[in-house]
Amino acid sequence: MDYTTLTIKELHALYVEGKVTPLEVVKQAIEKAKKDKTNSLEAVTFEQALEMATLLSATAVEVDNPLWGIPYFIKDNISTKGVETVASSNILKGYIPHFDAEVVARLKTKKAISLGKTTLDELAMGGSGMSGHLGRTYNPFDPKKERMIGGSSAGSASVVASGFVPFALGSDTGDSVRKPASYAGLVGFKPTWGRISRYGLFPFAPSLDAVGYFTRSVADAAILLDVLAGRDDKDLTSSFEKVEDYTKYTTSVKGIKIALIKGISDNISNPTLKEHYEQTLVELAKRGAIIEYVEIEKSLLNALFSTYFVISCAESTSNNANLDGVKFGARKEGKTYIDVIKNTRTAGFSALIKRRFILGSYSLKQENQELLFRRAQKARRLIVEAVNKVLTTHDFIYSPAAPGVAPLFDKKSDNLNIAHLIEDNHLVIGNFAGLPSITIPVCLDNGLPIGVNLTGRAFSEKALFGFAAAIEDITGLKNLQVEDK
Amino acid sequence: MIKMNKDKLKELANDLLFDMADQEYDTLLKEFDELIALMDLLGEIPNVDRGEPMIFPFAVTNTYLREDEAGTPLTKEEFLSNTPDSFAGQVRLPKVVN
Repeated sequence: MDYTTLTIKELHALYVEGKVTPLEVVKQAIEKAKKDKTNSLEAVTFEQALEMATLLSATAVEVDNPLWGIPYFIKDNISTKGVETVASSNILKGYIPHFDAEVVARLKTKKAISLGKTTLDELAMGGSGMSGHLGRTYNPFDPKKERMIGGSSAGSASVVASGFVPFALGSDTGDSVRKPASYAGLVGFKPTWGRISRYGLFPFAPSLDAVGYFTRSVADAAILLDVLAGRDDKDLTSSFEKVEDYTKYTTSVKGIKIALIKGISDNISNPTLKEHYEQTLVELAKRGAIIEYVEIEKSLLNALFSTYFVISCAESTSNNANLDGVKFGARKEGKTYIDVIKNTRTAGFSALIKRRFILGSYSLKQENQELLFRRAQKARRLIVEAVNKVLTTHDFIYSPAAPGVAPLFDKKSDNLNIAHLIEDNHLVIGNFAGLPSITIPVCLDNGLPIGVNLTGRAFSEKALFGFAAAIEDITGLKNLQVEDK
Repeated sequence: MIKMNKDKLKELANDLLFDMADQEYDTLLKEFDELIALMDLLGEIPNVDRGEPMIFPFAVTNTYLREDEAGTPLTKEEFLSNTPDSFAGQVRLPKVVN
């Protein structure tokens, strides 16, 4: 039996029944990962994983700990003690953190077993899975390797969709977990801003960043939040809000109010997506949900990407100023210390990242700041007010997670363009407002998955999992993955 | 806003302490046109400039003081282990004063 294709919950049940050991599971996961065809792996920690699995296999299973002995991968912009962490950027080559990110530390405490790190768009600044220093990360649902898996959490999406492990950590600044989840048939979850500690996550745009993750079922997503949620004094933006028992959600949708935003939900061009999206709504209505169209000023929707682009580029320019090759990273020598920094940054960053930094820096210049950066921040407030107004009268916003199946590589790049302004960018609403948001699969179009997205009020994760589980029950799309051929 | 040209882009890159290949400046110059188009979309929001900028999604209040406990979260050896060049327990860079 291939145990790695199971969900966390299923695997835990087998551990409890004594039908398999962590060592057997981890060995299988490593064998599969060694044959990875999607270019998803950065540094791997197979030896440490085998040691840990051997240790656990000689001890009693922790019946009340569903993460005991569960293998997983970590996006490579999340710090791992003693394991090279480069955020898929050449400038960080050789950097080995001396501490674990809080999320990694928590998973270690629960005896989950990391197999290593996964690829991303360089420094998480991209949405294609094409811009990391190792090149393209491929979508395992497309054996021809013509389609992207999306990004920036490309490798983490791929290793879960490939059936190497039941979950992987990612990060989400615009839609970097929730969009790849759509292209990979996965559950992709981003928590409320502050719900999960970001200590040890390389900052991209901290006013938007969140640690998120991929699973193959909603139940598994809830299991993980039980462990990862909660205040962390090392991250001053982490919340004191009470942590709930997230696995105790209810799947009843009777009486819940679902908002469909005009301009997003009535603008679906993919016929398969449109059919399944609407069928799901019909079934939700039959189960007692109240579904209503709501309006958000069109000019606000049109400005989603502009607002995101300016804010994220500006924040990232500032946050990555410490990448200079002086204290850590791949230094290039020079005659003066300025030359050292300049040569290091010239050689270390890709052209795309440099262009983003320049645009970000430009918007922060004193003479431009009011018209660019501050104006984007003002637009953000108006967008957030409009979204929160919807959520005062409705429990959730329901939308397509992507316009269609994973795009072909040659049809999309991370070069700046303003096509598909709303369809491709509306998930950023969840980052602007700091709201919990989850993508789950809704259909397969010629074997390629497409997801829907659900966004709820701040700190409503438990209810959000319940709603997502109801849709999972309707679609029957759970534990999707690519069979190893 | 200033009219953008390649020399000004090179100045911006220099401020950020890196350089780019010449064709990348051409790409960037085109992207600036896109940026201006994006900015126009912000300007189309009614009363966009009347509100306050949003810095974070919601207020975060930390009104406690932690205990002042001495510790060594990172030793000198640990710090230097990631340094590309060190000497006598310090990070080494080219001389500033000759």
